[in-house]
Amino acid sequence: MKKWQVAVVMLLAAVGSWFSLNTHAQAKTYTIATDTTFAPFEFQAKGGKYKGIDIDILKAIAKKEHINYKLKAISFGAAVQQLSANQVDGVIAGMNITAERKKTFDFSNAYYTSGVVMAVAKDSKIKKFSQLKGKTVALKTGTAGAAYAKSIQSKYGFKIKYFNDSNNMYNDVKVGNSAACFEDYPVMSYGIKNGIALKIVSKQYAAGDYGFAVKKGKNAALLKKFNAGLKAIKADGTYKKIVNKYLKSSEASLTGETASSRTFVGLFTQNLGTIGSGLWMTLELTVISIILATILGLILGVLGVMPGKIGPAISSTIIYLFRGMPLMVLAFFIYIGFPDLIGHGFKIPAFVAGMITLMLNEGAYTGAFVKGGFQAVDDGQMEAARSLGLPYWTAMRKVIMPQGIRIMIPSFINQFIITLKDTSILSVIGIVELTQTGTLIIARNFEGFKIWLMIAIIYLIIITLLTWLSNWVQRRIN
Amino acid sequence: MAKVVVKDLHKSYGDNEVLKGLNLEVEDNEVVCMIGPSGSGKSTFLRCLNDLEVPTKGQIVISGYDLSDKGTNINLVRENIGMVFQHFNLFPHLSVLQNITLAPVQLGKESKTEAEKTARHLLDTVGLADKADAMPKSLSGGQKQRVAIARALAMKPKIMLFDEPTSALDPEMVGDVLDVMKRLAADGMTMVVVTHEMGFAKEVADRVVFMADGLIQETGKPKDIFENPQSPRLQDFLQKVINV
Ligand SMILES: Nc1ncnc2c1ncn2[C@@H]1O[C@H](COP(=O)(O)OP(=O)(O)OP(=O)(O)O)[C@@H](O)[C@H]1O
Ligand SMILES: [Mg+2]
Repeated sequence: MKKWQVAVVMLLAAVGSWFSLNTHAQAKTYTIATDTTFAPFEFQAKGGKYKGIDIDILKAIAKKEHINYKLKAISFGAAVQQLSANQVDGVIAGMNITAERKKTFDFSNAYYTSGVVMAVAKDSKIKKFSQLKGKTVALKTGTAGAAYAKSIQSKYGFKIKYFNDSNNMYNDVKVGNSAACFEDYPVMSYGIKNGIALKIVSKQYAAGDYGFAVKKGKNAALLKKFNAGLKAIKADGTYKKIVNKYLKSSEASLTGETASSRTFVGLFTQNLGTIGSGLWMTLELTVISIILATILGLILGVLGVMPGKIGPAISSTIIYLFRGMPLMVLAFFIYIGFPDLIGHGFKIPAFVAGMITLMLNEGAYTGAFVKGGFQAVDDGQMEAARSLGLPYWTAMRKVIMPQGIRIMIPSFINQFIITLKDTSILSVIGIVELTQTGTLIIARNFEGFKIWLMIAIIYLIIITLLTWLSNWVQRRIN
Repeated sequence: MAKVVVKDLHKSYGDNEVLKGLNLEVEDNEVVCMIGPSGSGKSTFLRCLNDLEVPTKGQIVISGYDLSDKGTNINLVRENIGMVFQHFNLFPHLSVLQNITLAPVQLGKESKTEAEKTARHLLDTVGLADKADAMPKSLSGGQKQRVAIARALAMKPKIMLFDEPTSALDPEMVGDVLDVMKRLAADGMTMVVVTHEMGFAKEVADRVVFMADGLIQETGKPKDIFENPQSPRLQDFLQKVINV
C-alpha cells in the first residue's frame, strides 16, 4: 500500500472504533440533556461550565441518590427530540409539564412553578395584549411562553415569529422588529436584571410546572430516584438555597465577571478558554470533514465519468440526494432520525454525526465539480493513453486525474472555505463549535455586538489563512 | 496470415451507419494510405482497429488477436499498435521524456532507466534530442507530433496507425513529420496512414485505399490510383484535391 492509502485506512478504522466505543459504553451513567441558554435555569459561566437552578438541583439530587450522570447541553428543541429518539436518558431544561408532552414523556414531580409574562422594549408604549393587534410577537420554540401566546393569538390578532434561542428573541424585541415577547417570569426577570433592555408589562399567566422528563415507559428507576431526591433536598433546605442563589443575585456574582471585563479586549481575554475550545472544535470538524469529503468527492467524480451506465447513475443519485438536502435537515436526520430508524438504543455521537453530515453534503458538492473537472479533460487524452495499452484505471490515475485536479483547485479552495463556514450549522445538534460558543457566551452576558464581532473576526482570520495555504499549494502544483 | 484482417466491418452511431461493410487486409511491412472525402469514415475505421470504437458488426483480427472475441485482452493488442492522432494528444502535465516513458514503465516493459534511455534514443531519431526535458506546451506543432510518434514507438509496436498526422500543422512543419514517417516505412514498419498528403501517398504507400460513403470504393498501387482512377467518385475526388 502507498502512504496515502495507509492513512485512509487508519482514518476509517479510527472513526469506526470510536463509533463502536460510543455505542456500547455508558451502561450505568445516565446522559441528561439540558438547554444552553435559559438563565437562570441553565447557562454557561465563565470557563465554559454550566450553572443554573436546573443544573444545581440535578447535582444536589444526584448526590443524595447516588446517580451517575453526564450533562449534555444542547438547544431545548434538540434536547426534547433526542429524548424522544432515545439518544439521552433524561431532560432537565425548565420543561413545562403539559398534557401533550405526557403522551411521549414521563415527568417527575414538579420542581418549580412559573408563569408566563409579556415583555416589551424599554421605550415601548405597549401595556396590554389588545395593543398587539397586527404586530409581530417573538417566541422561543417549545416554551410555555410560546404555547401561551399561541393560545391567545387569534383573540388579539398578532403575528408570530419563532426563535431557537432566548437571546435572539430578546434582541428582536429590543431592536423593534417584534413588538413583544412571551417568556417565563424567572428567566425574563433574570435577563432584565442582567442588562437586557426590556421591561415586563404583564402579570404572570398560565402558571405551569417544570418537571424532569424521561421517555415514556423508560428509566422508571431514574425518575423514582429523582422524585425521592427532590423531596430530600426540599426537606433539608438545599432547594431553597439554590433557588435564592439564582433569583436574588445578578449575573456577575454567578459567572465571576467584573465590569472591566466588558470591554472588547476584556471580553476576549475572559472568554479565551471557551472561544478557544469552540475554535478547536470548528477546526477539528473542518479538517476531518474536508479530508472525508474530498475522498468521497473523488470517488463520486471517478464513478461519474466511468464508462457504462451504473457508475454515473450511482454518482449522480448520491450527488442529487445530498446536494439537494439542506445541511440542517441532513444533520438532524443522521443524528436523530437515523438512530430512531435503527432502534435498539443505537446512538451516534454528535461529533461523528456532524462529521458524516459534512462529509455527505460537502462530498456531494465536491463530487459534482470533480466530475466536471474530469470531463473538462480532453477526450483525446484518454484515447491516447488507452491506445498506448494503459488499462483504464492507470490512464485515469496517471493522465486524467492529474490534469483534472489542476482544473479543480480553485473549486477545492472554495469548498474548503464553505466547509469551514458550514460547521457552524452543526450547533443545531449540540456541537459546541465556534458559533455556538458565541451563542453561549452571549446567553449569560448579553454582549451580542462585541461577541459576534469577535467570532466574525476569528472566522475571517482562519479563512484568510486557509486561502493563503491553498494559494501556496496551487503555486506549488503549477 | 496478414497482419491486419478486416471482414465486413459495420459501424453505426444511432441510425447513422458510418461504415457499411469494409474488407481489408494489410500485410507485414506494408504501408497502406487511406484517402477519401471528409466524413467518409476514415477516422472511424482507424479507431476501430485498436478498439477505440467498438464495431456494430464484423470481424477484425490483428497479429492473430480477434478483437471481437471477449477473451482478447485489448490492452495487450494495443501495446502492439501505435496510434498517432491529428491533434497529437501529448500529456500536457508531463515532460517530453515522461510522455514517452509513461506507458513502458507503467506496463512493466522496461525499468525507468531503460525506458529513459530508449526515449532519448527515439527523440534523437525524430530530431528532438534536446527537448527531452521540455514541457509539451513549449513545442511547435511539428515538434509535438514527432514526440507523439516517439511516444507510440516506445512501446515497440508492430503496427502504426496515423490519423491525418500533418493536417493540424503549419505547412513548413509538415516535411519534418513526413520525413520521420518515411524513415519508419523504410525500416519496414507496417503502417496504415489516413492522409490528405497525396505526395506522401504516391511516394511511400505500397497500396492506396480510397474510401467514400462508408465503403472502400477502390484500392490499388499509388500509380494506378492517381494516374488511372476507375470510379467516377475517385476521379471526382482527385479532381477536387488537385485543384485546391
Ligand atoms: N462519436 C460519434 N458519434 C456520432 N457520430 C460520429 C461519431 N464519430 C464520427 N461520427 C460520424 O461518422 C462520420 C464519419 O466520421 P469520420 O471522423 O470517421 O470521418 P473522416 O473520414 O475521418 O472525416 P475527416 O476527413 O473529416 O476526418 C461522420 O458523419 C461523423 O459525423
Ligand atoms: Mg478523420
